[in-house]
Amino acid sequence: MWYKRTIPLLLVFAIGLAAFVQEFVPAHFSGRFREEITMWWRIVGGFGLFIGLYSLLHMHVFRVRRRTPGWGYSLFVFVGALAMVIVGLINEGYGPLIDAPKDVKGWFDWGYDHVMNPCAATIFSILAFFMASAAFRTFRARNLSAALLLAAALVVMFGRVPVSETVGSWFGESSFFPKLADALMKYPNLAAKRGIMLGISLGAIAQSLRILFGIERSYMGGGD
Amino acid sequence: MGEKIDTRQLLVVRRIIYLLVALAVIVPYLVKLPLPFAPLEDSRKVFDRVEALPAGSHVLISMDFDPSAEAELRPMANALLAHCFQKGLIPVVMTNWNTGLTLVDGICKEAAGKAGKISGKDWVFLGFRPGFTDLIVNMGENLKGAFTQDYYGKSTQGMGALAGVASLKNIDLIVNVAAGSTVEAWIAYAADRHKIPFAAGTTAVMAPDMYPWLNSGQMAGLLGGLRGAADYELLVRQPGDAAKGMQVQSVSHVLLIVLIVAANIRFFVGRRPAKRGA
Amino acid sequence: MESPEQPPLRRTIESGVMIALLAAFLVVSVLRHNLFGGPAHVKDSIGVIVAAALTLVMYSFLYRDNPMFKSAENLYVGVALGYQAVITWRESLRPEIFDAIVAAPTPEAMREALIHRSVPILLGFLLLTRLSRKYSWLSRYTYALMIGWGAGLGIVLTIDTYILQQLEAAAKPLQDGMLSGGAAAFSWPWWCDAGAVAGAVAVLVGTVCVLFYFFFSVRHGKAGSAVSKVGIWFLMISFGASYGYTVMGRLSLLIGRVRFLMFEWLKTSP
Repeated sequence: MWYKRTIPLLLVFAIGLAAFVQEFVPAHFSGRFREEITMWWRIVGGFGLFIGLYSLLHMHVFRVRRRTPGWGYSLFVFVGALAMVIVGLINEGYGPLIDAPKDVKGWFDWGYDHVMNPCAATIFSILAFFMASAAFRTFRARNLSAALLLAAALVVMFGRVPVSETVGSWFGESSFFPKLADALMKYPNLAAKRGIMLGISLGAIAQSLRILFGIERSYMGGGD
Repeated sequence: MGEKIDTRQLLVVRRIIYLLVALAVIVPYLVKLPLPFAPLEDSRKVFDRVEALPAGSHVLISMDFDPSAEAELRPMANALLAHCFQKGLIPVVMTNWNTGLTLVDGICKEAAGKAGKISGKDWVFLGFRPGFTDLIVNMGENLKGAFTQDYYGKSTQGMGALAGVASLKNIDLIVNVAAGSTVEAWIAYAADRHKIPFAAGTTAVMAPDMYPWLNSGQMAGLLGGLRGAADYELLVRQPGDAAKGMQVQSVSHVLLIVLIVAANIRFFVGRRPAKRGA
Repeated sequence: MESPEQPPLRRTIESGVMIALLAAFLVVSVLRHNLFGGPAHVKDSIGVIVAAALTLVMYSFLYRDNPMFKSAENLYVGVALGYQAVITWRESLRPEIFDAIVAAPTPEAMREALIHRSVPILLGFLLLTRLSRKYSWLSRYTYALMIGWGAGLGIVLTIDTYILQQLEAAAKPLQDGMLSGGAAAFSWPWWCDAGAVAGAVAVLVGTVCVLFYFFFSVRHGKAGSAVSKVGIWFLMISFGASYGYTVMGRLSLLIGRVRFLMFEWLKTSP
């Protein structure tokens, strides 16, 4: 149906063209327009965040309803979320419509500092152990490419910590290893990263054009 | 293969490695190791750029990270704020990560408290607004429209710390302390667009990706990971958690290097007889 | 991972160790933290103990996946979800909609806000129809406008920031060396400038080879293979550098947690 598919496609093209063109219009004409439109997305972004959170919650509701393996753990999701929402809305007795003074930490901040913070920090730090174990078990110079990868990794790992300067000073040049790591970062690493960046950018432009011309429509979701 | 080990052995090896890693991180905190180091050139460039600003300049520091990167980026943010306060600069702090809001609030209060600076007068924490790239474009037109209030509920209109700042165009330096893809957005949508000097402090994982920006001059300097934070602490003469962490980092890196080299020696030694037999 | 079916003796030993560890944790926590200070002090002390417990429970995964780890993991997801929901209200919807319109200080301010904010609020509500099967097509209007804007603006900025400026940076060091009558390349100390030019050439060659490897993935001749291979070498060195930095990053995070356990929970002096 035209209002379900054609209008969104026309809207994409029209606003995309406007966004493109306004970049070439002097700022005193285009600035106000740019400010107004981006203010829209600032507000819509708030609704978008709620959609994301709802989807996550919905996934856990689904797990509990269907009794999928490990569904019981999803109850902890509800307990954590509900506790934070309740203390957040009570807001130290000030309610949800006004700000509580932020000079004293309340229970909402307590939940952040003592539950969310340690869990987030620890989960990512566990990877240090896995990396060490995986490196020991699989990181081998089996061929030239793998040898280059391994050598670069060792140079950077050693050259970026202070012990390399102490070791270098035993041979009369404390900055030898840091400079070696620097050279590796500033020449071969730079070249490869720039190549990747240019490749991705050309791909992103192609994708943007596909969106504007209605070839790429995945953002519309399923259905007619 | 010459390296075959059964599942049980694998489990034991894995647990020994875990134990060694844990010891490599704990023991250096108990034993003092004198490991001096000189700040890297890329870190010094960030320092020099901040140092060159006259007192009263506005430095927008976007702290786009959350607790998962706190260990690396908090010391960096602390040192940056300390430097700004030492120099009489005005940090305009914000975050694009809603999960980092309370954390960034704590960082600002701690640094300002140590320096005896007043919120709204000597510094401002704008808080969080959704929109990311659109928010940056919006701030490029009207900063006080994007943030009508600071995080503490004070109106940004007429705020002393934002005197003379109508939009991003009036900012003298942007520093993005980041754990995600916000660096590229700040460069494209703010720094390049309005010709504002830009520097970044990133997690170590992101640091190698920053070299094209450094080389092109679109980024004035880079603080990469805990090492970058330690460099900055040394430069502002306030050695803290990052500088202290460097000896731990050294020991743990050496452990990993030894493990990798040992495994490779074992691999090559174990491969030789198999070749002869073939 | 080991088999979930453990021999009974081993299970008993593990349970015993678990109880002993829990008891040790509680004893150490009580000894190191004064739980009888005042309400604020107790709140902080309990906070540190809870944080330490969660940290250690998370690390128990290194021994084996276990119910305590899974519970803590899910609790974290829930707390993060609740935190973000409240923050979205406090930092976005309340100031942008409620404070600006419903709690506007004057009727003029309310009228002004209504004029400017009606469209985005409508678009926001249309976005919420994504949650309904029947009306989700309405959300396409909002998505179309947002994505169209991003794509149109992105094309211009990508060309400038990511492509033109990067190409300029790739060519400029060579241009500087060559156009100054060779002065830069051959001035004293000659090896220094020649080194800079060589470095710039290496970067340019590497970039071109990497791009060649990405874009010409079809089977090519000898020369093409050689260029592609050089591209792969550059990529490998770059991945190695990234690996080195990743190790640094992950260990930094571990250092952060150890610092917390040693200096905040155990209160040892640094």
